Amino acid sequence: MATIDQPDRSGAEWNGWQKVVFRIIFIYFSLQIVPLDWKYYLHLAGVDWLHLSFRDIFNIAKYTPQFTSSVAHGQDWGQAGFADWGFIFLLALVGGLFWSWRDKERGNYVRLYYYLLVLVRYRLAIGVIAYGFLKVFALQAPYPSVSSLNTPYGDFTSWKLFSLSLGIVPGYQSFLGVVELLAGLFLLFRKTAPVGAIIIVFFTGNVFMSNLAYEGGDVVYSFYLVVLALFIVVYYAEQIINLLILAQPAAPVIVPISWSGSAKKLRWGVKSMVVLVFVVFYGISVYGSAVKGNYHFSTQPGLKGLTGLYTVNSFSVNGRVLPASLLDSIRWQDVVFEKWATLSIKINTYYSPVNDNREGIPAQDGGDAFESTATTGRHYYSYQADTVKKVLILRDLTHSGENAGQLSYAPQPDSTVILKGNVNGKVVEAILQKNNKKYLLKASEKGRRGSLKL
Amino acid sequence: MSATNISVDAYSQPPLIWKPYQKVLFRICFIFFILMSIPENPDWYTQVFTFDWTSLHYRDLYDIARFQPSLTRGAGYYGYADWLILLVVAVFGGTIWSLADKRRNEYNVLYYWLTVIIRYRAAIGIIGFAFTKVLPVQMPYPSTGILNTNFGDLTAQKIYWLSISIVPWYQVFAGVVELTAGVLLFFRKTATLGAIILFGALGDIVYVNFAYDGGVHVYSSYFVLFAAFLIAKDIPKIYNLLIRERYTIPVNFNIQIRQRWLQITRIFLKTGVIVLFLFVFFYVQLNNFIYDPYKQPAAKGIAKLRGYYRVKEFRLNNVSIPYSPQDSLRWQDVTFEKWTTLSFKQNKPVVLDLSNGGGSPMRDINRTFELAGVAGGRRVFYYEADTVNQILYLQDKNKGANEFALAAKTALKKKKSSYKNFLSDQQEYELLDHKGLTGRRRKGITSERAQETDRNTMVLNYSTTDGKEVVLKGIDEHKDSVYVVLQRLDKKYALKPGKLSAGKY
Repeated sequence: MATIDQPDRSGAEWNGWQKVVFRIIFIYFSLQIVPLDWKYYLHLAGVDWLHLSFRDIFNIAKYTPQFTSSVAHGQDWGQAGFADWGFIFLLALVGGLFWSWRDKERGNYVRLYYYLLVLVRYRLAIGVIAYGFLKVFALQAPYPSVSSLNTPYGDFTSWKLFSLSLGIVPGYQSFLGVVELLAGLFLLFRKTAPVGAIIIVFFTGNVFMSNLAYEGGDVVYSFYLVVLALFIVVYYAEQIINLLILAQPAAPVIVPISWSGSAKKLRWGVKSMVVLVFVVFYGISVYGSAVKGNYHFSTQPGLKGLTGLYTVNSFSVNGRVLPASLLDSIRWQDVVFEKWATLSIKINTYYSPVNDNREGIPAQDGGDAFESTATTGRHYYSYQADTVKKVLILRDLTHSGENAGQLSYAPQPDSTVILKGNVNGKVVEAILQKNNKKYLLKASEKGRRGSLKL
Repeated sequence: MSATNISVDAYSQPPLIWKPYQKVLFRICFIFFILMSIPENPDWYTQVFTFDWTSLHYRDLYDIARFQPSLTRGAGYYGYADWLILLVVAVFGGTIWSLADKRRNEYNVLYYWLTVIIRYRAAIGIIGFAFTKVLPVQMPYPSTGILNTNFGDLTAQKIYWLSISIVPWYQVFAGVVELTAGVLLFFRKTATLGAIILFGALGDIVYVNFAYDGGVHVYSSYFVLFAAFLIAKDIPKIYNLLIRERYTIPVNFNIQIRQRWLQITRIFLKTGVIVLFLFVFFYVQLNNFIYDPYKQPAAKGIAKLRGYYRVKEFRLNNVSIPYSPQDSLRWQDVTFEKWTTLSFKQNKPVVLDLSNGGGSPMRDINRTFELAGVAGGRRVFYYEADTVNQILYLQDKNKGANEFALAAKTALKKKKSSYKNFLSDQQEYELLDHKGLTGRRRKGITSERAQETDRNTMVLNYSTTDGKEVVLKGIDEHKDSVYVVLQRLDKKYALKPGKLSAGKY
């Protein structure tokens, strides 16, 4: 039934090398996509299916085969490296050659190529939608904490600065998310898939370049998505090049498969499931989390009325008074109480920043200690407040993650606060004075046309 | 494959009869885009003839490449007022044209020439932008002063610019994308691909400019609009091919030039544009990158002083002031940059420079990227050094107001300037590497010096034995005597410096 609109390609004979290359590619992409890594099922078994949250779906969506890395970490689902790619490629090479040796009859793989295209489309769609929603609700890069606002520019790693710089413009982050999400939805439908794939080549290609430049942790994964998108673009390359570059007539891609009977039902079932789980349920769940606050920060509320930046008016350690100084490596310079149960102290010390730069969702809100990683100069503590005894029990976020002592707090009538107690083995006493600092970042929100004195 | 066997003339001819609405729309677009592509500012023309073509500065070519309608100087409608005015003119003109020319059936040839103009205008414009990123000078790596300024003490615009500056190779990549779009637009076959890249890349930049208050939203939208016009004719074709999944024949508007002299003229013009805006531009931009990065002062700062210091002792009129975070007189820290800048931090509000810190200042003192959009009490001074007697002659780089407030102030009262400079014009030239001292730089230094107004000044004597401790003493901006002991801090930053840095210091 070939017409000018619907040319039939299903009968055409492929070259010998085309068939060999296809067999290798088919095995390679199948191994990259179909979850065959047993560790994945170990993690799946650990999911609380009755209380399925977007964190689980995010991890499920981020499947990459890790055949060469053998350890299954508890909460961490892990991520493939280029070594895994190499291993899979070797398997594909051997398998493809073996297959070619066994099967000499076959004329072409038009149908199998199409099935592979569908598989790649769905895998890519699920992957980018998972990230898209995090951006739509401006969760991936949170607005900087008060501690971050009071940290010198040079005291962050480049990856943290990338995140903070995106964090100050939630509207732009949402826009990026909408682009990513739309491209993902386009991939779910045959007719819009090539447009979706082209958008992803540029969009995720840029994400990949950013990961390289800012030393992010998703170099391999973002490249994985780009390769999938390129696969789809290549499928449509001939017609796009004909139309847009060679100015030649272009024939559309014809589906070499007719979905009918039970295949049709299966197709609709799978498609509906994907949309229901990875779009509808996931989207609602991400929104539900966003309403509660950003998952990068603890949901434990901070002490009421204490939130803000404080100057340290007076400070003593083990009974010895230390005068204000920018050079002293013990004396506190300023203290920040966040809206959530974190406090940070600026001290003139350098410690190597912990660089947890892989994009993930912590098992508990604040569990990734986003605020204290990839930065130096401030010391971060999370606290449990006993509001009756007026005591804060501290946990050191910067170094050990362990108990760091406790501080009693006493707000004074002159709006100062006295902190007393034991921190990291030192007996300290500090008088804090609230600093109602005006930030240029906020003061210039109305625009830069007026005159501003700060 | 059977599809390619179908015998159809590969080149579909453009329609011989256009629909009435297409003709009216085309006439409006034609007038609009021609007006958008013509420099209306007389300065553009005078500049072209006054450049020193024997000693080109990157900004000479940049200025040729960068223009946009500027009838109202960007006022109103988010800066798009000029576009609206031109649109009204185009609608008016297009209507008259439609009434006057009722016989005409099509504008196939005129459409072709319009796309040529749009392609070249967009290509030259975006290449002008691209080169400042390809050789990364548009976003310079943060100065030591900025590295020691809190994140919250920066404007959003500054934060975005800095976020690109810290990864110079990414800046190069962004430049290469823009450059690729520009180069593809020079050729008919690749023009659509170039327009698609331009549309995507600049569309993002428009959004970035709105989000971060970057101030370049109108000019970036300009390219999005031009790219959109070029893509427009292919949109129905792409829709037909991909969404409707139908056999699609593209329309070819290209004309064949048959006259010999026209062919020669075309090759001559095309080669000229490509040589000037790709090769010559690359060369002058490379010169700028190596010797004269345009947002940074180019003269070398005193080598042994460079670094970050905490103030150990501070005496004002011989009275020692101990450190206290609330004190508004004492200096807290001091930086000496690679170039001729001293900055110090003081807990005292100042009127900020809220500009982008860009433009094309030719004097080092007027290169303000290190202070524009930066608060936190940091004061930034340009210095001229008498290295024999170890004296720094310092001038405040912040003119105490932003450009708009300043314009209003100078209009009110023309105060007589008592401006005095330590160095002569000739001495200021000699601070620069002679390879970076282009015609424009030389002329600019002299003319900017003539326009100088009063600034805060300091004269400080410096002494150091091993660079670990530096003593500054002299007269500060309020004519008080100061005595400052600085202790060098070999500060380790979490941020790793880029390996690709502009300038020779």
